Parts: sequence; structure tokens; C-alpha cells
Amino acid sequence: MTWFWITLGITAACYGAVIGTAALMTLAERKVSAAMQYRYGPNRVGPFGLLQPLADGLKFIFKEEVVPAGANPFIFKLAPALTALPAMLAIAVIPFTGVIATYEGTEILGSIANPDIGILYVLAVTGIGVYGAILGGWASNSKYSLLGGLRASAQMVSYELSLILSVLAVVAMSGTLNLHEIVAQQSGWLGWNIFTQPLAFLLFLICSYAETNRHPFDFAECEPELVGGFHTEYSSMKFAMFFIGEYTAMVVMACLTTTLFLGGYLVPFWPDAPWFVGLAAFGAKTAFFLVLFIWVRWTLPRFRYDQLMHLGWKVLFPLALLNVFLTGLFVSLGSGGN
Amino acid sequence: MVVVERKELSFWERIYFPAILKGLKITVSKMFAPRFTRQYPEEPLPTTEVTRGQPRLAVNEDDTIRCVSCGLCEAACPAYAITIDGQETDRFIEREPERFDIDMLRCILCGFCEEACPKDAIYMSNELELADFSREALVYDIEKLKRPVSALQDRIDYVKRINDRWQTSSST
Repeated sequence: MTWFWITLGITAACYGAVIGTAALMTLAERKVSAAMQYRYGPNRVGPFGLLQPLADGLKFIFKEEVVPAGANPFIFKLAPALTALPAMLAIAVIPFTGVIATYEGTEILGSIANPDIGILYVLAVTGIGVYGAILGGWASNSKYSLLGGLRASAQMVSYELSLILSVLAVVAMSGTLNLHEIVAQQSGWLGWNIFTQPLAFLLFLICSYAETNRHPFDFAECEPELVGGFHTEYSSMKFAMFFIGEYTAMVVMACLTTTLFLGGYLVPFWPDAPWFVGLAAFGAKTAFFLVLFIWVRWTLPRFRYDQLMHLGWKVLFPLALLNVFLTGLFVSLGSGGN
Repeated sequence: MVVVERKELSFWERIYFPAILKGLKITVSKMFAPRFTRQYPEEPLPTTEVTRGQPRLAVNEDDTIRCVSCGLCEAACPAYAITIDGQETDRFIEREPERFDIDMLRCILCGFCEEACPKDAIYMSNELELADFSREALVYDIEKLKRPVSALQDRIDYVKRINDRWQTSSST
């Protein structure tokens, strides 16, 4: 029974932290973009506008729900949940920190679950995320939404491949799929995978932007041509669900980048750091990638669709293959593996 | 016909990254630049004596109202926003308004009342904010319209200057 409460506590803490961060990200997005455009951004609700996400949520709840004529009501209502759910499922295996305490001879780890196939699980559930966009786009009975959904699916197929191949290089070096072990193997001087696998890091970063439908790859939404893409016809809380899904996916991707390439919860030059310092280090590293998401969005213009496909298949995919080949070569020669 | 030669991109231009880093540098440097937004209720718009805000009634230093309820502003008002009832008074000017209402929802801030007034009693102030919860509350009565001369002095001087210019100009 004690384990039940421990797991429940960790679960509540992890989900609260991630979803709270996702809510704050909507505010951060507006604040940072405003600052980059010589504006202030929301600063009326609460100190520095910190309660703005709450106000937005309240507003969404009280808005009218519209289901367009000719839409498939069941799938139309299912799609937002299918967007938000996979991102939230992926939180389950993210190692937020190392060993918190030992209870009855078993270590309590800083993640909800610690399966041996951790990274495989993350890739599997985040892969489902695109169904929300496709089904939402199809069920809306609108040309723009359908085009947005189609683009989302095509983009996901092209970029997930390079994403998985870049992860594969890391996995080949670590020799494990367990996220806690991948983190543990990055300890030591210049041990972070970003130094040993810079190309994989770059590929993963680019693909994670495509995976989360963020600028410069946000073809599924694409305001100027598709009037909002797959969520054109959505209103009220269902629209908000798409946003929750998108921002949670961003947080998960930032956590994953930190875990795989930046040594997760490891603190540089302090190998025996207590768990809360590790947690803070993890938060700081993740925060950097979250800010990078926003920073890139308000810097780069959107790609053209053929440029997106060109980049995905003719640049990123061969590079990822080359990286996997080289990594495999070095690992098998015994000089690159840890 | 114009033939545009397409520039051959170099290797560093084709891999995007130097340009992306340059762009990221620009956006982050702009984050700390001064901001253009005016935080309105805390930082109100600056006004000058030329600002034609809501009309107000001038009150002399000895607390007597300048208005003699002649009704010229009421007649000049193109929006029929002004309603005046007069009454007798013991003061030298013999008349003063008993009731002087301006419906601020009808007022179009044209300034005709100010031009029509023979007693320099009504002026366009620099007060611009107009908000309330009911239409009735926005019909301002005489107590709400009274302003001491000192508060309107800039506008009074300005109107005098403009009128003097017209009187002395050679074209009229």
C-alpha cells in the first residue's frame, strides 16, 4: 500500500509539473514574442500576467461549442483527446531526477515508471500524436482542415524517420533503451551525448520541431494558407485541448532532448549531487530548450512545403543514416562506445 | 524582358545554420530594446491646449459660474447635446443656469459651443475618458461640468490667441 501512495505522489508531481509548465508556456510564448517585437505582452492578470493561462482556460470553458454541419461528431470529438493524450502518456518514463530515496531496499527513482524499453515507449506514443491532427482535419468536413491533416501526416512520416534514426545512434552508443541508464552513462568529463553525437543532436532538435508541429515546420496549422489547418473548425475547450496537446508535446520533447543529449539530471562537476539539485539541473536544461522553441518560432519564417520535403528526405534522412553507420562502425571497433 | 541571374549559394549559405544563428541573435537582442507600447491607464496620452476634449463650464475664483444661460451653445450644438434652464440671480450678471446638462453620449466634441459662447464660460477641456455602466450616468449635470478657471487656463489662453489672430488678420 505504501508503494501505491509513493507512486501516486510521484505521478501527481510529474503530471502537475509538466502540465503546469505547458500552461506557463502559452504565457511565455506571448511574453517572449511580445518582447521581440518591442511590446509588453499580457501583464494585466495577476503579477506580470502570470494568471493569464487560468483566465484563458476559464474563457475557453465558457465559449460555445460548435460542431460543423456534415462533420463526423464522434471522431470530431475524439480528435482533440487523441492529440493531448499521447503527449501526456509520454511523461510517464521521463527521468526527472535520479534516486530520491531508498525504501524497503528498493530505490525510488525520479520518474513515474522505469521500463527497460523507455525510449521505445516514448517514440511509440508520440507517434500516435499525429492521429489527432489527421482525424480532426478529416472529421471537420472542411477543405482547409483536411489539407492541414494531410500535411501533418506527410510531415510526420518524413521527419519521424530521421528522429528515430538520430535516437538510434544514441542507443547504439549506450547499449540500452532504459532512459535512466542512458542518463547515467553520460556522466564524466565531456560525457554528454551532445559532445559525442553532435550530428545526432542537431538532427533530433530539427526533427523535434517538426514532430511537435512548431515553426518553421508548422504546416498542419499554417495560418496564411490554411486558416489554422486541422483546428480551423474547432471551438471552445476542444480547441484548447489541441493547444494543451501541442504544448505538452513541446515540454516532453524538451525533456527528451535534455535526457538524451544533455545528460538529463546530471550536474556538471558534481557527480554526487542530491536529487533536488539534479531536478533543478534538469529543469534548467529543459527550460533552455523550451525557450529555444519560442525563440526559433519568432525568428524563422515558415518553410515552403516542397522545401520541407526536400529537407526531410534529401538532407536529414541521409545524414541520419550516415550518422548511424558511423556510430555503428565506431561502436563495433570498440573505440566509440562508453 | 528582364533575365534575373540566380545567385549560386555557397556551402555555408546552403546549410542554413549561420543564417539561422544570425537571425536568433537579432531577435534576442531586440528583447532588451526599449518598448513602444504605452501602458494606457497608467501612462495616459499626453494632451496639449489644442486637444479638444469634453466641454466643461468655467467657474471663477470666487466660485461664481461664468455662464449666463443665454442658450447660444444650446442653439449652436449640432448634436442637440446641451439642455439649459435659466434662473435669476442677485449677482450683477442677473442670470445663471439652473440646469445645464450635456449628454456626453451625444456630444461630438466639435467645439461649436466654445466658439458660440459670448461669456467665455464653456471650454473644451483636455478630459477625454468617458466610461460608465449606464446611459443615464453619462448625461453630465452642472455639478459634473464645473471646472475652476485655473484648470482650463491653457485652453482659455489658446482660444484667446486664435480669436485675436482672426481679428487682426488682413484677409477678413
